[in-house]
Amino acid sequence: MFTGENIIQIVSGFLHWAYAQVGISALAGAIDPVISAIVMFGFISVFVMFLVWMERKVSAHMQSRIGPNRVGPFGLLQTVADAIKLTTKEDVKPVNRDKIPYFIAPIVAFVATFMGMVVIPFDKGMVVQDLNVGILYIIAITGFTVIAILTAGWSSNNKFALLGGFRSAAQIISYEVPLVLSVVPIIMITGTLSLSGIVEYQQQAGYWFIFPQIVAFIIFITSATAEANRAPFDIPEAESELIGGFHTEYSGVKFAMFFLGEYIAVVVSSAVAVTLFLGGWLPVAFLGFLHLPGFIWFLIKLVSVIYLVMAFRWTFPRLRVDQLMDFGWKVLIPLSILNILITASVWLLLYGKGAQ
Amino acid sequence: MGIFKYFKDIFSGLWSLLVGLSVTSKYFLNFKAVTTQQYPEERLPLPARSRSMIKLIYDGEKDQFNCVACLMCAKACPNSCIKLEGVRQVDGKRRMTTFKLDFSTCIFCGYCVEACGFDALTFVSEEYENAVYKRGSLLQDEHAMKWVRPAQPIAPEEQKKETVIPAVVGA
Repeated sequence: MFTGENIIQIVSGFLHWAYAQVGISALAGAIDPVISAIVMFGFISVFVMFLVWMERKVSAHMQSRIGPNRVGPFGLLQTVADAIKLTTKEDVKPVNRDKIPYFIAPIVAFVATFMGMVVIPFDKGMVVQDLNVGILYIIAITGFTVIAILTAGWSSNNKFALLGGFRSAAQIISYEVPLVLSVVPIIMITGTLSLSGIVEYQQQAGYWFIFPQIVAFIIFITSATAEANRAPFDIPEAESELIGGFHTEYSGVKFAMFFLGEYIAVVVSSAVAVTLFLGGWLPVAFLGFLHLPGFIWFLIKLVSVIYLVMAFRWTFPRLRVDQLMDFGWKVLIPLSILNILITASVWLLLYGKGAQ
Repeated sequence: MGIFKYFKDIFSGLWSLLVGLSVTSKYFLNFKAVTTQQYPEERLPLPARSRSMIKLIYDGEKDQFNCVACLMCAKACPNSCIKLEGVRQVDGKRRMTTFKLDFSTCIFCGYCVEACGFDALTFVSEEYENAVYKRGSLLQDEHAMKWVRPAQPIAPEEQKKETVIPAVVGA
């Protein structure tokens, strides 16, 4: 039976044998992370391509259409064709742009979200780097996207791009607060910031945190959708109001980087939701007889949560800016604070002091 | 009361969102709801009386066109896009020899079909891809417009209505 841990052991055993053959065993500590990063990059690129295809299929079938079905089986290679088209496209740049920020912004947008994948545990032991402050790290690193978006909006020298950047800054800063506050009860219960530690706590406790923390789950998913700039919170790139928003002036590979960054943000926030609330790599209770490896369970849950986020996009109309601010500050933040209070009181009553 | 309204609003809002999600999910899971016609592979059959293309009816048994070159269609045509010639045969009956219809000026008004008293011109519904690469290709002669009526019409009533139109228009 292959589990994630076995695969990692086999691969790392093979790699270390290969290092010894070439005579670079001393550098193993430096090469291993690079190889992990490359594997993660390959995985995320293929997965994002699948997600773009899935998004188009989901939206199509929700609107009684078919969606891409010409390139490859079921249109699966449509995204490859799109990627080839984007990379071979002329890179049109505004003349009066601010050159260095204009160049850096898409790179930051991509890297900031991609670095969040580092601490996601796909299976027991199947994680690039199991930081003991994993959640804090993810929240900090994905917060970088606002800098990228603001930089892109500013340096494009375009009023629509600038408006999009400003809106994005207001939105992401507002929704960062409920996002963090919705995670706090789980940290209080488990007493750890490590994502693997939280999954192991759920394994020992025998339940997933979505059951006691359904409010936190709803707040988290809502804020994560807003963080990823996706509809119904896509006011930074509202097509009908701001053309393309902050990426109005970007084309070709740079636009692809923003696009990739947006989808990786969806993957990261969904993966965090799966880890925190849906038990990560743990099997679904009533389907335990299937004996699938942990990372398969993780991917199934991940795709389900991503479907939910996609369903949000193709079901709900976009919020107005003032509605967005109202919703963030008047509904989500009070609710999440209330959730913290109630969780803390209940846990204190049930387990007394020193519940850890 | 304000605090009750606050929570009530949140719950009713959440409920309405769930209702919306259930509607879209229902359509997503119902793959038969797809209405897209994939045109080159799937073609919608047009109604039997749709005016897609004008054809000259060819009688396979007598091995000749029904047209007798009475010129009623050419006179009825508002754009003068029909040119035809006929000849009187040895048995005294007129027969069409050449027939030219310029589809680049034809507006598919149907006056020629109505004016025809010998069941020689008809609209067909099965041929509707009329685009061509050269403008000259739109000038069709009797060989291009030759059409044999199928032995069993798809909709007999519809076909019947078309064949009994009296030729009294425009004279």
